[in-house]
Amino acid sequence: MAQGILVAPGQVLGNPKTEKAGPNTHIQNGQICASVFGLADHNQAPTQDTNSTPVKTTAKTTDRATVSVTTTTSSINPISPTINSIVLARVTRLTLKQATVSILAISPSDSAASSSLAVCTTPFNGQIRLQDIRATEKDKVKMLQSFRVGDIVRAIVISLGDQAAYYLSTARNDLGVVMAWADDGEQLVPVSWKEMEGMTTGKREDRKVAKPI
Amino acid sequence: MSDRRRINPPPGGTSAPVYASSTASPLPPTRTRRPDELRKIFLKTHITPSATGSAYLELPPSPSPTPSLSHSQSPSLKLTATAHLAPLPRSAPFTPNLLVSVHVKFAPFASPIRRGYIRDAGERELSVRVENALRGVIIAERWPKMGLDLSIVVLEGEEEGPAAIQVGEKDAGGAARKTEAWWATMTMLAGCVNVAAAAVVDAGIDCVDAVAGGVAAMVPANTAGGKGGVEVVLDPVPREHGDIIAAAVVAYLPTRDEITELWVRGDPRAAGGEKGLEDLVDAAASAAVGARTVILEAAREEVQGRVEATEGV
Repeated sequence: MAQGILVAPGQVLGNPKTEKAGPNTHIQNGQICASVFGLADHNQAPTQDTNSTPVKTTAKTTDRATVSVTTTTSSINPISPTINSIVLARVTRLTLKQATVSILAISPSDSAASSSLAVCTTPFNGQIRLQDIRATEKDKVKMLQSFRVGDIVRAIVISLGDQAAYYLSTARNDLGVVMAWADDGEQLVPVSWKEMEGMTTGKREDRKVAKPI
Repeated sequence: MSDRRRINPPPGGTSAPVYASSTASPLPPTRTRRPDELRKIFLKTHITPSATGSAYLELPPSPSPTPSLSHSQSPSLKLTATAHLAPLPRSAPFTPNLLVSVHVKFAPFASPIRRGYIRDAGERELSVRVENALRGVIIAERWPKMGLDLSIVVLEGEEEGPAAIQVGEKDAGGAARKTEAWWATMTMLAGCVNVAAAAVVDAGIDCVDAVAGGVAAMVPANTAGGKGGVEVVLDPVPREHGDIIAAAVVAYLPTRDEITELWVRGDPRAAGGEKGLEDLVDAAASAAVGARTVILEAAREEVQGRVEATEGV
């Protein structure tokens, strides 16, 4: 964390011809400038940092180094969901058409490894629509066989949504329910992509289960 | 009785502070700094742990020519700012940008005459101006559907020192003091911009530059003859100058050489000629450059303290 030099907003970090503008930077007058106060990093690989604002990096296999800035000033991470960020959310409400969730933690980019999750200070509202629950046989999906209220779900943000909620999707193998509890409060463990089982009772319940990573 | 939401102090239950009479310190303070010298700024960021970013700014009181009791000393400027980044409420319409809202609030004890809890025109004007200053700096599209609530509390305003205000003499120098209050509001705006910028930097909100506020004034030149034209002073304290001809506040981005907010009062052209306004704004910008170094230094101290703390563990 302590590598790199401290830079101030507006400070020139490099040239876009030789380097790529990473998180927390912007381009002004043909030069990469820092946009937050923090430590500048000139990384060969795309950076994955919880503190940094996610910026969609398109060319991952580039030979240009990515220059980014890590904010270290704030102990409370300013973070908000962006498109393609992986989130952990709790299901709060179910209807036949959609599940309402509250987003509890955000991973900056489309990395399934949830190693770099940042916890939200205030939960964000999210919505998983019926057609976004799984990728195949979308017409056969039943909401009540996918989620239950209280489940913890790993999902991807597909849209900033409307004023009320972010739109999430679990239509991927590694996305879906990661923690669930049976009716009697017993914790369930995944047994297949669509079923979970009580640890002692062996009672099975239907869920859209995330592939464990 | 219009304010029923807050618990107001008892209408007659507290005794107002009694200040020494104005004869206790008859001499107003005089400027001892060079014209291009700023007051020393105390700035500390990250003072409110629960906020995304926060800062505290203090300007020292101008030295009094006559040694006096502490309470008759000219007041200093004390400001705190807290920045809260939070999702917008459900009722707010969708916005692809960060919604910045600034609230400047005078504490009821900020001035010798107690202020009410309800927002008045002066607070609103300051809020709008600080908001303008920040709007040009923050990269709003990095934070869609989010709101940045910035509240600045004036703990002590340098406007109207205790000695200058006696309730009885309201009419006598009322107009003059009112203009003095205006000049003081301008220095306060510069302070508000600085403390807000420090809080935004502390919060880690994306900015194109660290904005800083600066103020400069055109005053009669302090020469022996007395009528030696005008001079431009940085960071004026209204009480130190009997007469201010014009003053300008800017919110300035030094790395881009841009101004996001400009407020000029008085007529700089009348005294300073055609280039009067330009000189005044340039001087205010150079005051802002000085303030920016303080903002960045405060942020640097905070970061280094944090890095050392994590390495120590």
